[in-house]
Amino acid sequence: MNRFAGEFAATFLRNKGAVAGLGVLVLVGVVAATASLLFPFSPWDMRGMPFAHPGEADMLLGGDSLGRDVAAGIAYGARVSLLIGAVSTLAAVLIGISLGAIAGYAGGSVDDAIMRFTEFFQTVPSFLLAVVLVAIFSPSIASIVAAIAIVSWPPVARVIRAEFLSLRSREFVHAAEVLGRSRAAIIFREILPNALSPIIVLASLMVASAILLESGLSFLGLGDPNLMSWGFMIGAGRSVIRIAWWMSVFPGLAIFLTVLALNLVGEGLSDALNPRLARQR
Amino acid sequence: MSLLAVRDLTIALPKGADRAHAVEAMSFGLEAGEILCIVGESGSGKSVSTGAIVGLLPSALAVTAGSIVFEDRNLLGLSAAEMRLLRGNRIGMIFQEPMTALNPLMRVGDQIAEALKVHGAADSEGRVRELVEAVHLPDPDRIVHSYPHLLSGGQRQRVMIAMALALEPSLLIADEPTTALDVTTQMQILGLIKEIQSRRGMGVLFITHDFGVVAEIADRVVVMQHGRIVESGSAEQVLNQPQHAYTRALIAAVPHRARAIEPPASGRPVLELVSVRKSYLRRGGLFSPHVRVPAVQDADIELRQGETLGLVGESGSGKSTLARCIVNLAKPEEGAIRFHDTDLRRLARRHWKPFRKRIQMVFQDPFASLNPRRRVGEIIAEGPMAHGTPRAVAESKARELLSLVQLDPSAAGRFPHEFSGGQRQRIGIARALAMEPELLIADEPVSALDVSVQAQILTLLEELRQRLGLTMLFITHDLRVAAQVCGRVAVMQRGIIVEQGQTSEVFSNPKHPYTQSLLDSIPGRHWLPPVTR
Amino acid sequence: MGGAPLFRFVLQRALKMVVMVFAIITANFLLVHAAPGDPASVMAGEAGAADPQFMAQLRAQFGLDKPLSTQLWLYLGHVAQGDLGMSYRQQRPVAGLIMERLSATLILTGSAFVIAIFGGIALGALAARKVGRFSETLITILALGLYATPIFWVGLMLVLIFSVWLDWLPSFGMNTVGADLTGFAAAVDTLHYLLLPALTLGLFYMAVYARLTRAAMLEVASQDFVRTARAKGVPEGRVQRHHILRNALLPVITVAGIQAGQLIGGSILVETVFAWPGIGRLAFDALLARDYQILLGVFLVTSVLVLVFNLITDLLYAWIDPRVEVM
Repeated sequence: MNRFAGEFAATFLRNKGAVAGLGVLVLVGVVAATASLLFPFSPWDMRGMPFAHPGEADMLLGGDSLGRDVAAGIAYGARVSLLIGAVSTLAAVLIGISLGAIAGYAGGSVDDAIMRFTEFFQTVPSFLLAVVLVAIFSPSIASIVAAIAIVSWPPVARVIRAEFLSLRSREFVHAAEVLGRSRAAIIFREILPNALSPIIVLASLMVASAILLESGLSFLGLGDPNLMSWGFMIGAGRSVIRIAWWMSVFPGLAIFLTVLALNLVGEGLSDALNPRLARQR
Repeated sequence: MSLLAVRDLTIALPKGADRAHAVEAMSFGLEAGEILCIVGESGSGKSVSTGAIVGLLPSALAVTAGSIVFEDRNLLGLSAAEMRLLRGNRIGMIFQEPMTALNPLMRVGDQIAEALKVHGAADSEGRVRELVEAVHLPDPDRIVHSYPHLLSGGQRQRVMIAMALALEPSLLIADEPTTALDVTTQMQILGLIKEIQSRRGMGVLFITHDFGVVAEIADRVVVMQHGRIVESGSAEQVLNQPQHAYTRALIAAVPHRARAIEPPASGRPVLELVSVRKSYLRRGGLFSPHVRVPAVQDADIELRQGETLGLVGESGSGKSTLARCIVNLAKPEEGAIRFHDTDLRRLARRHWKPFRKRIQMVFQDPFASLNPRRRVGEIIAEGPMAHGTPRAVAESKARELLSLVQLDPSAAGRFPHEFSGGQRQRIGIARALAMEPELLIADEPVSALDVSVQAQILTLLEELRQRLGLTMLFITHDLRVAAQVCGRVAVMQRGIIVEQGQTSEVFSNPKHPYTQSLLDSIPGRHWLPPVTR
Repeated sequence: MGGAPLFRFVLQRALKMVVMVFAIITANFLLVHAAPGDPASVMAGEAGAADPQFMAQLRAQFGLDKPLSTQLWLYLGHVAQGDLGMSYRQQRPVAGLIMERLSATLILTGSAFVIAIFGGIALGALAARKVGRFSETLITILALGLYATPIFWVGLMLVLIFSVWLDWLPSFGMNTVGADLTGFAAAVDTLHYLLLPALTLGLFYMAVYARLTRAAMLEVASQDFVRTARAKGVPEGRVQRHHILRNALLPVITVAGIQAGQLIGGSILVETVFAWPGIGRLAFDALLARDYQILLGVFLVTSVLVLVFNLITDLLYAWIDPRVEVM
């Protein structure tokens, strides 16, 4: 395993974009973790005059319509984005792997039923569904995480199912059957480890889209009312964009950089995981 | 004046490849009207050289020296536009994989017409039809209007030939055009190429790894190894008096030693198949019925202790399906599969376990038959461990088995991708033997390997069979291999066993017309490879 | 592909659509009942819940005292007749409100889709042809960047640049208020207002299609039949267009179908930023007013739109790819 890890790391590190992305993510993580050190007050506190320009009143990125520090909002917002992004992705991945594995391994009518179910979730407009879910169940961090997970799991299930279907007829799985190994051993020790590598790539991309989803929801006012999030800040700045452009620009840049970083890391992971597969032929 | 003269052609590989040059100092000539075969195993550089001739080398490779003179022009000095004018016009080319060689979104007739149109020739319907008829495709009108996915591999290859020859080129380059085809289809395509070649007096550069094909069609031969030509000469010379050690080794590896006639095995049968039937369901949609496609029909087989039975057939004959039925990877609808006294077909999955120890399988694809994420030692030990053997015992047994299959025991700590195809196949054999089976089913165990490696694996299997007293069911499409390895043979066609009997008997006096046509399709069957020391 | 198999194919897909619509309606129904609180108050919305007469009417209409299955049946019946409920706040049937604004959303999403598809395929094909060169790197970076930006933020930035700072284009609405324009002049006027929102929605998906087209073309370029075409002497331009691009479009069509739902869903964000009078804006206002009937109605209508679009893309795919068994 060490050899794999070594080669994987080497290929990943050769990809400049991926390394840059990783750096940005680490930065965002650090800011999120140390937000209360950098800004030892609540982001909801009024810190200066309303609509303070960037650099005025000790506020690096300006103040919003109620005089709150935009920079502090971004730092605390990083926590919200990363947390919601990670947890909802984890939930979606778990749901997706379970359903996809069952569909791929069992086949037949079980597979059909699960596929119809998956198709349903892929047909309805996912953002709208998330909006409806959060609206009806009242916005809170729990309902947001659940809503994002519910609209995000179908691609995972599809990928896992496809991997299972293709691996099931791979000869080393046949060999395991002929050797007399148990079904559980075949699923968990032969198929699943080989099916997971596309999921790693998919997961990083899903965290990115989870963050975009969450920002969209809070932009519309469906964020958790107790949490300062990037989308909420942009939403608050929308109507006063003519006089306070910084309220919308900076949080948006934060989202942009984080999501871009995640996408770059995802692509780096994809490239790093594939040459090994290519070399096997 | 030669049609084609290649002098000192050298093509460099990118940094980090396992050698510096794909092709080094390659020199050969081709006259009009003759067929030159370039023979080599994978990685010998044979295909790369033809890529250089037509100017279709992948961008990573570069010609660093040499000249290619075709009809008095040095092709290496021509511009891309001038090369394009030659391709399809003066030089035609056909490739190995017919199934993916045609644009799936264009009708066949349009693709043939395209070959004419891009060089300014008349692409009339009549002309296209003529070309289709010239390659002996049945029902030309239907073919011209069909899309490629409706044609078989052999038919698509004929279409490729029609396209390549549309403008009557003086040189045809054929890069392993029959390797992916069935034996009988291969014979037809070889015949077609010979016919057209003699009619038009073309020069043909034919690439292959199969000496049987060489014996069948070559006028002259060039043998390549690791990017260099090691021997060249007339076909008669190279085939019957090979000079270079590598050529001799390749020819020796062609299975040709007929098995010594043994007395038929006596005793109770180890495996008996009676009227086994297996079909697959092709699912229809909402408005069309499901279709039952029979894969195996009424198969009757008997296998006695200690013998090797060959199951021979082309693709789609059902031989692999039958093998899978025996080990419960597929469930037949009817019939009995008796292993000693137990009918395996009626066993529920949970009762199979004790039989797993006694019946094992070696698979075809050395690259797909080992879990890429497991170490070799674990792969071999996992079978016995699943049956209760303690880990330490199983792992030391694994190391013993690795020596048995002539690999270094330290291989146990490495991963499959670190080994070559032949070595992986040995690992697969070790895995099967770890269970100490009575019956070993080998499903095309050497089909995916190079010729020289094939011979080694076949020898290994024979040694193991004798040493361990195994009974073997050997599945193959290669009649030469069957002749060498199997005492008895069963011939399958489209799910039905058409003939069974002692190998020597069946091959010298075939009773069924299909067996006869299979035997007639062995390329170079009239050539007796020289027995060399 | 002939007449009869085509008809069967359409019929088959239409049946699947009907089943899907049923599923969506049932999902709507379940959502209302799964929400915390009394279903009647959920349906009545914030304003309606205060009016006991309205609540009683709702209860009777939806049979809220009857068993669940009967309620579902009643609900299905209502929807089948085009009755999507009543908005208390606006005092009008939901279906009517939606129908009024549907065309505005269709114009917006339609234009965005056209920008996305044509722009995306053109850029993606260009990037595939020029792999390794500067132009390809530029396109790839641009696509990556657009793909990472939230749609509503792109909209706001475009407003900031083109409306606030440069004052070239209007920033909200669909046409100039008060100017009674007709015919061609009205169309041009609308175009002014359409440009920024359509660009906003379209740019994101343009990035998606550009990346997809590039990847698909690179993949197809390495396939055997492309080599055959070159070996025949087909000029490079024709190889790119006729052989590579046509085959590469197949996965693009498939993904376009899948993404349709997201495109339409994204319109709620764009319509909010630009105050575009479509059903997305309607949904946003309904959100603020907690008017769930409208929200669910918009959800249903957009899902049906997605289904129709999927049917069209499936037909397109089957028309282009002869391997698809229309049987």
